Amino acid sequence: MSSESLAEFELLVMLAALRLGADEAYTVSIAEGIARKTGRSVRRANVYTTLQRLEGKGLVSTRLGDPRPERGGRPRRLVAVEPEGMTAVRATTGAILSMVGELSDVLRGAE
Amino acid sequence: MPKPRGPGVLRRLAALLIRGPEAAFILADLDDAMERELARGIPLWRARWRYAVNVFGSAFSVWRTRWRMPNLGMSWLDVKLGLRMLVKQPGLTCAAVFALAIGIPVGLYPTHLMNVLEAPLPVDEGDRIYMLRYLNVATSRAEAPSLQDFMHWREELTTFEAVGAATIGASYNVISEDGRAAPVQGAEVTASMFNILRVRPQLGRTLISADEAISAPKVVVIGHDLWQSRLGGDPDVVGRTIRIGGVLRTVVGVMPEEFLFPLRDNLWLPLRVNVLADEEGQERAHTIFGRLSDGISSEEAQAELTAVGRRMAIEFPETHARLQPEVVPLTIGLGGLRKGGLRADPEFYAFQGLALLVLVVACANVGMLIFARTAARSSELAVCTALGASRTRVISQLFTEALLLAVLSAGVGLLIADRIILSRIAPARDKLPLPYWLDFGVTPDTVFWALSLAVFSAAVVGVVPALKVTGKAVQRNIPRTAAGRSGIRFGGMSSALIIADVALAVATVGVAVAFSYSMTEFRDGMGNLSAQFLSAELTIPRAEGTADAAPSDPTEFTARVGATQQELIRRLMAEPGIRGVAVGSMLPGMDHPWGRVELDDENQSDDVRRYSVSTARIDPDFFNALQHPILSGRGFNLADLGEDRSAVIVNTDFVDRVLGGRNPIGRRVRYATRADEEPGPWYEIVGVVGPLGTLMTNSDPPWYVGLYHPLAPGEINSLRIAIHVGDDPESFTPRLRALTSEVDPTAIISEPVALNEVFSFTQFGTKLVVWGAGIVVGILIALSASGIYALMSFTVTERTREIGVRTALGAQRSSIVLTVARRALAQLGVGILLGTSIAGVLFFQMEGFLGQHPIDSPLVLTLIVGVSVMVLIGVPACTAPTLRALRIMPIEALRES
Repeated sequence: MSSESLAEFELLVMLAALRLGADEAYTVSIAEGIARKTGRSVRRANVYTTLQRLEGKGLVSTRLGDPRPERGGRPRRLVAVEPEGMTAVRATTGAILSMVGELSDVLRGAE
Repeated sequence: MPKPRGPGVLRRLAALLIRGPEAAFILADLDDAMERELARGIPLWRARWRYAVNVFGSAFSVWRTRWRMPNLGMSWLDVKLGLRMLVKQPGLTCAAVFALAIGIPVGLYPTHLMNVLEAPLPVDEGDRIYMLRYLNVATSRAEAPSLQDFMHWREELTTFEAVGAATIGASYNVISEDGRAAPVQGAEVTASMFNILRVRPQLGRTLISADEAISAPKVVVIGHDLWQSRLGGDPDVVGRTIRIGGVLRTVVGVMPEEFLFPLRDNLWLPLRVNVLADEEGQERAHTIFGRLSDGISSEEAQAELTAVGRRMAIEFPETHARLQPEVVPLTIGLGGLRKGGLRADPEFYAFQGLALLVLVVACANVGMLIFARTAARSSELAVCTALGASRTRVISQLFTEALLLAVLSAGVGLLIADRIILSRIAPARDKLPLPYWLDFGVTPDTVFWALSLAVFSAAVVGVVPALKVTGKAVQRNIPRTAAGRSGIRFGGMSSALIIADVALAVATVGVAVAFSYSMTEFRDGMGNLSAQFLSAELTIPRAEGTADAAPSDPTEFTARVGATQQELIRRLMAEPGIRGVAVGSMLPGMDHPWGRVELDDENQSDDVRRYSVSTARIDPDFFNALQHPILSGRGFNLADLGEDRSAVIVNTDFVDRVLGGRNPIGRRVRYATRADEEPGPWYEIVGVVGPLGTLMTNSDPPWYVGLYHPLAPGEINSLRIAIHVGDDPESFTPRLRALTSEVDPTAIISEPVALNEVFSFTQFGTKLVVWGAGIVVGILIALSASGIYALMSFTVTERTREIGVRTALGAQRSSIVLTVARRALAQLGVGILLGTSIAGVLFFQMEGFLGQHPIDSPLVLTLIVGVSVMVLIGVPACTAPTLRALRIMPIEALRES
């Protein structure tokens, strides 16, 4: 069975969601997580559209968290990675790792 | 410590731009992100900047997802390149901004107007205040409920926390302690009105239920303007008395300056429902309204009212069988709109379509300019593509450039609309009876729609030309760019567009000049003399301006009106310096009512010819007072005011048009009736006068034909008076008011203005039309010229080498210019011919509107004007690029290629 192959930013979003866990992963925390780990500027708007695309593919699901007073009583829309999403993450990262394989020294800049 | 939130204006903008089911989450995320950034130590200004960036980014993301737009990959680099392009070509930028700065506001106007008219009242939760009215299912027209309905609803309805009633459109003669009298617009209202609107007075109190009792003391709540202008802004005004009509009332409260409910009212009297409920013949309009109870929707209120209406239809079938009660937003009801507002009116969509058509035409022309510029960059685009840029990337860049242009144009257009146009409307608000709550200014909604139209415009002017010059065209162009040509051609569509632009410009110049000419023709017929007359309207309120008195017997009331009018005229004539007083139903320069008449010598058959005439009723001294002599026959005399009212006077236009120049004296006319009706009485023409500006603004011609009937005192209550004062007639206004108050304290003098200004006011609407036509003409001329210029600039660029070769071989400059500009000149010529034909057809259609045959009319000169304007502007547009190219040395032209 062929797995969905993820684009670069899709992979980053899903990895960030996995790191944060289903109770903490939402748009703002995912964007911050990617920015913190990769050092690149992340537009939250891109995270919105990517999550919508991933949800449309069935790779993630969203649910409403508990109402939060600091958000004016509005809940957060929390993100959870679905089994199909995990499969896609494994397939994509596996492909990257197998390509990286023997090149790890080169990539690290070894002489 | 309060939770940090984004700046208020950005929060409102975010709420405006970000719509849909995700909006609530996204808006909350914006605040969350700001809080977390501040917690990480990011400076406040930076956090706010990021907030702003995220607002637009999120909005764009939401809309892109909703409209399934591809990822265009726009970047700041594209924005910088776009700005550079705008600066690099100032001529094109100005032409495009001009066109779109007109097109975008025009395209936006119907929606903006709808938002203005349907905005809720500017009070607390104004969108929960609704009008209760009837829809007559037989006529499909709205009808005002009776006060019995009001009392019924006030008791029965539970979906409204309070129901109130108000009269609309009444004026009261207010006499201050120094004897000054002037009308003030006011309303009779139930005390509940103030609770429904949740407004508090700035001094004293509002009306209370006890004030509505018949035996209650006579009180009044006044407005801020009245307090300041007539009571000196006295801080102890509460408890003072003021005479309103013939009744002394105690001031109990002063409302805030911005409160003028329901329209532009400045005093509020208690509405004594029990007295008025039994009166017959009352024609004052009253409005029923209420505030929805908490948690109740308008649909629930409508359901309850419908159920009540059904019960009333059964109980009172004669009056209520065809009446269907409805709940409409109050401002929509006050505006006389249908329940769904303008959105429910099919004509609105036609209006919006026409407005958008103007924008589309502007976009198409600007698109041609952009196309020419883009085509000139085809080599650059070909290189970009060869280096790996995708078609989408190239289009994205071109779209960004177009978007910058469109957003700039939208901003300029809104600025023009707000500063210039609206600054003209605002001062005229008092002349135009516009409700106080209408705000025509630019709102966030207006900005949003303007930006939406800017995006639409950018798609038309940017993406469409970009699609044409990219893709397969780029591949074909790579060899051609090496040969110094773009290989891109202006097709038949661009030629058709230029021809259409020129034709419309020629036709509209003619029509606009015709309008202006017809306006200058429509004078009051008195020359400069009208500037010496003070005109006003005299009205005696039926029930002494209040609900206190019992209704007058109609015969008694007519006699009272007649006596007041006669006495006032007598006193005016006795005033030193007054040279005459003319009274009638209409004055020169006003929009007269019209009727259709038939002559006595026509065969009494179905084919009898009928003529449209303006009519007015005038007193016997009317023409004498206006120094407008009787040219033949006689004027009216007292005998004509008796039982036999058959005498009429006509003007010279009647003699020319209706009688074909035949002698009118002794001829008879009567008003046309339907075949199933009895014919009306015959009237005998006894005299002829010159034209006196009878002025019709309806569509049926002709304009000047006038028919006058005699008027006896008391027959008309709203009587028009023209007083021959001399220089500065408006200075007589205070004296006129004083005399009127002496004769009858309840009588109201309104609209005192110099007689020549009456014409100007009547023409206000037409002036707007002429002004609008002038703008449209200007736009079309500019667009057609810019389109031709764009075509020629592109053509010259393509043929620079050819021009160089021809010049080097010794060809005459004129010959080169004609050769290169031949196509554009041909398009200009075809457009002018087509426009002339269109103008000719329009003039023939407008024959009646113009009042004379177009061939006989000096207005045929307008065709010459239209053609001349287009030639003067179009020919330079055709030839200027070539002439500019000829200034280049031939060797340089050959080298450049």
